Amino acid sequence: MSMKHNCPEYSARLHTASDLFSKVKNEIRNGTLAKKNLVWLELTGCSGNIISLLDGANPDFKYLISQMTEFVYDNSLMVAEGEAAMDKLMSIIGNDYILAVEGAVATKNNGLYNIIGRWKGEPVTALKAIKMLGEKASHVVALGACATHGGVSAAKPNPAECVSVQSVLNRKVIKLPGCPCHPDWFLGTLAHILLYGEPELDSRDRPLLFYSTLIHDRCPRRSFFDKGIFAKKLGESTCMFKLGCRGPVTRIDCSTRKWNQYVNWPIEDDTPCIGCAQFGFPDQMEPFITYNTTRGVKE
Amino acid sequence: MNNSTYQTIRTKVAESQNYINLIYVAPCIYTRNMLLNQLKAKMNEIDFLSGLAFGKMNQMQQNQRDLTLAELAKFNGKDGNPAYVAVNGTVYDVTNNAAWAAASHFGLMAGKDLTSEFASCHGGQSILSKLKVVGKLV
Repeated sequence: MSMKHNCPEYSARLHTASDLFSKVKNEIRNGTLAKKNLVWLELTGCSGNIISLLDGANPDFKYLISQMTEFVYDNSLMVAEGEAAMDKLMSIIGNDYILAVEGAVATKNNGLYNIIGRWKGEPVTALKAIKMLGEKASHVVALGACATHGGVSAAKPNPAECVSVQSVLNRKVIKLPGCPCHPDWFLGTLAHILLYGEPELDSRDRPLLFYSTLIHDRCPRRSFFDKGIFAKKLGESTCMFKLGCRGPVTRIDCSTRKWNQYVNWPIEDDTPCIGCAQFGFPDQMEPFITYNTTRGVKE
Repeated sequence: MNNSTYQTIRTKVAESQNYINLIYVAPCIYTRNMLLNQLKAKMNEIDFLSGLAFGKMNQMQQNQRDLTLAELAKFNGKDGNPAYVAVNGTVYDVTNNAAWAAASHFGLMAGKDLTSEFASCHGGQSILSKLKVVGKLV
């Protein structure tokens, strides 16, 4: 795309999260929008999504926890620890709250493979916590591959018998797949919930705001695909389809939104898309890289 | 071309034009993308029907061959072999299909009979008509 003629749609897309956020900010300042409680539950995962969230710019994390929501609980970031932290978590039951969940649910031995804390002397498994808090939340937002469909935690051989959050909850779960989830996808969804309620979702409960187009549809290297010009090794600036790029099956907006506060993204850095935002990642997206794929076929 | 195929094609063209009109007034990019996907599907249907009508399918069938499961296994899309998959007894070429990067698709490998896998994920979709037919599975 020429930089001289900025496409209005391109710029509109980049601002989906910030537009929603500035509306939230205005309404909170005017007192027309009340802060909601936000509980961030980490189950069986790698904390990747909360770390990714710290990189958020619309809003930044500080605004999220101080102005936009009442940030009640997150095991990685909160000051309280041990039973005091668990008290805080349990105190939310009976109040109105939005539940964000990262990590899959370990189900083996009735969930004993993942204990997230102890409360009143008893171990609290991830399975118990999600069932208890998930059913009563006003909205449940599952972020990341593990929470949305099992992801890396449920990859073969899946020793802890991990499953998605949806598998153990009998209610609507908004799903933001990605490994990790982009801060905009979560913050935009959260802002939408605060302003208008649940955003419009596709048939697999992903917000259409972010998950409506394939990476392949908006890939800057798409013309190379259409002309059949394929990279033979990493580092070439052509289409990485024959190396195993999963852009054509991955429905998300990385190609326009980019990462690290809109700086770059895998394909522009000569790495094929590994389909981390698609259901079935990682097992179903393998092999991530292949060099002996057939290129031309002699008729 | 028989009359009913001609009428069906005309209907599909009219439907496509309707989608185009809707795209002009689409309120947002998401609606527009949805309409574009539907338009794409319509164009594939038209392509398939016109292929039928002009006897392309008959011509193609002359170049087709019968493959056993063992023979099909060689066409795994690696090391110069094309990537073939079989669905409901028909063998298709997916070598350059976008959803089959590195001759694999959601953990499935080329060179296999994927009838049940296809039915469980794409049952009722008319996506097979986009693929080149290379033969029959025997």
